[in-house]
Amino acid sequence: MGFTKNKEMIAMLLAGGQGSRMGVLTSRVAKPAVPFGGKWRIIDFPLSNCVNSGVDTIGVLTQYQPLELNSYIGNGQPWDLDRLYGGAFILPPYVRGKEGEWYKGTANAIYQNINFIEMYDPEYVLILSGDHIYKMNYNMMLEYHKEKGADCTIAVMPVPIEEASRFGVMNTEADMKIYEFEEKPPQPKSNLASMGIYIFTWSKLKEYLIKDEENVNSSNDFGHDVLPAMLNDGNKMYAYEYKGYWKDVGTVESLWEANMDILDATVPLNLNDPPWKVYSRNNNYPPQFIGEDAVLKNSSVTEGCSIHGTVENSIVFPGVKVGKGAVISNSVIMPDCVIEDGAVVEYAIVAANVKIGKDAHIGQNKKVLKADEHPEISVIGQDLTVAAGVIVPAGAVVSENITSEEKEEA
Amino acid sequence: MNTLGIIFSYTERENLRELTKHRTLSSLPFAGKYRMIDVILSNYVNSDVTDVSIITKDNYHSLMDHVGAGKEWDLTRNKGGLRVLTPYSSPEMPVHAGMYRGDVEALSRNMHSIRRSMAEYVVLSGSGTLYSMDYRDVIEKHVADNADITAVYTRSMNGSKIVPPGVVIFDMDESGRIKDLKYNTNTTDEQDVAWGIGAVVIKKSLLESLVADAMSYQEYDFYEGIMKRLANNLNIRGYEYTGYVMEISSVTDYMKANMSLLDKEMADKFYAAPIYTKIKDSVPVQYCDGCSVKNSIVADGCKIEGTVENSIISRGVRIGKGAVIKNSIIMQNTEVMANVVLDHVILDKDVIVRENRQLVGHETYPVVVEKLSIV
Repeated sequence: MGFTKNKEMIAMLLAGGQGSRMGVLTSRVAKPAVPFGGKWRIIDFPLSNCVNSGVDTIGVLTQYQPLELNSYIGNGQPWDLDRLYGGAFILPPYVRGKEGEWYKGTANAIYQNINFIEMYDPEYVLILSGDHIYKMNYNMMLEYHKEKGADCTIAVMPVPIEEASRFGVMNTEADMKIYEFEEKPPQPKSNLASMGIYIFTWSKLKEYLIKDEENVNSSNDFGHDVLPAMLNDGNKMYAYEYKGYWKDVGTVESLWEANMDILDATVPLNLNDPPWKVYSRNNNYPPQFIGEDAVLKNSSVTEGCSIHGTVENSIVFPGVKVGKGAVISNSVIMPDCVIEDGAVVEYAIVAANVKIGKDAHIGQNKKVLKADEHPEISVIGQDLTVAAGVIVPAGAVVSENITSEEKEEA
Repeated sequence: MNTLGIIFSYTERENLRELTKHRTLSSLPFAGKYRMIDVILSNYVNSDVTDVSIITKDNYHSLMDHVGAGKEWDLTRNKGGLRVLTPYSSPEMPVHAGMYRGDVEALSRNMHSIRRSMAEYVVLSGSGTLYSMDYRDVIEKHVADNADITAVYTRSMNGSKIVPPGVVIFDMDESGRIKDLKYNTNTTDEQDVAWGIGAVVIKKSLLESLVADAMSYQEYDFYEGIMKRLANNLNIRGYEYTGYVMEISSVTDYMKANMSLLDKEMADKFYAAPIYTKIKDSVPVQYCDGCSVKNSIVADGCKIEGTVENSIISRGVRIGKGAVIKNSIIMQNTEVMANVVLDHVILDKDVIVRENRQLVGHETYPVVVEKLSIV
């Protein structure tokens, strides 16, 4: 085809997951489209990493609630992915012949798009997922992959050994060659956790994807099926150690923590990094307006906001209005929310386009807390209204409008 | 309606001191994240005019850098789109080539490009006056009046009835036909009169022949050389605009216009229609412990540790601990270090103000610090 060019490496971004552990935050959008950090969405991180690493052809595999994600990625222009050759491609499941099928697992999703990958005739394929916050140069990982002459390279992160049992753990020899792969082992032998970032030599991966598809007992998943199968057959698999900031934001708590990390100067996540910008689709908002009575402390506030109350240790997304006397602390307020006069929001994630009525209180904590413990995080789902004066206890998950008559109690 | 927009990126009557030393008027930063051209270009885009040419004279590099291919204004089009027309010279031309003797000569020199457009009408506009309007309404009236030229005028500016110096005052009869005009030289004498805000609608074919005609008479000014000279022969009409107007031809005007956006009512008018600008992918503003910000506009990418009051802070500005900034405009990427005191100051782009410095201007004469200075 005249409109493609051979690429050394292309990326396949698995963005079809529901992210069910995020509850109401992903009831209307896929996890990669969840807002993060004051102006981004989670998917901006892998997309920007790709572009900054020189990977300019990315297939984005979508399945769950794709509308918002598709319109967000659009033609890929905000990430410089509107290219003559390559760019960003949305790849939903499709019908072949008389029937089609959903993506059965991560490996099956790639299997179903073998034709897309072959269009670029790449030597290597980078497999990414859309639920991690990190900045990483995939090109350095590719150099490592080539240097080791590997069939597959898996990015790993050293984690505290007591936490290793929550991850897929790579047991390696001294030269980082993987000899064993354990999914969530009760007694971990190593502290190298898989980050869910793989580089495969394409010819090898293709062979194993086809084999995996033929195996009716397979769950068609990279971690469960393809990687163990490759290892059993004695393929050269290496671990690539990454030492920067990386966080899986798959749960409400971890999403809140990762947002708070931005405000913590001791956490090595620097987003104000001109040579390695994290790009995002920008709406057309005016600069923010800070009113006469505003009080701002250790917070991140962005375009389109108008702040008349107090904002402390919080991340405020574009277009948020905070009324007089309102207090927002230790919270994440997603785009276009309205926090009316006198309302209090603490230890909460408020999804996009929510209205919190006058003097309402989100995250009221009645539990006695230990010294290093914070109240449970409350979550308010997208497009909801919490009426004036309503009290929402700490840790509550609000998935429907609350009118003043049916005040929610702990 | 198939329309071509033509913007003059400069104006003859401005005196913005250091602010326009390195840039043409229309690329002057405005309201924290914009350039003046953004307001002007957005008028065209919001009026569905997607074939726009910008005529430049000098110092246009920052303008070209800002508008690029017009992507952010949705002006990268197969048909039309954005074109920047720069001055040029060729061996056949007289020595003053490029240094246009007036807007008529500027149009004449760029007629090769204007002629190529398939548009039926042309909407001309300047750069010194900011307003928000839908040009489709003017064209509609232009057609209904069977006019040859329609000029847009206003009778007020931000509630004040004073007419800014250097603008054109129209003398109209009861039917709205412009019989005569003159340039305003005095701000106090003329009150509540119709003055032109720079927007003019004309059929493209008529513009082509009027420009050629004026050039042959060595008339280089559009208002005097075409509209005034031919007022008796042409049907020249006025169109009254009643929205907000910001006239920017001096440093105090510039300061006033920026500061007016701290008023919610004014800001609502200003942002009523979308204003597009170049995207920088800056990070959100970081408000550190100990900062205090009141009644101010802050653009993304800033880090604020000090005190800011009644000010406009542009993208990527850093304000150090203990610094106190009042009634000031701080442009892009400028750094104000610890314990600096600023009042009625305009800091241009990429300025550094070192620790403990104090700069105080006055409402009527703000201190202006030139681009790239170190204080």
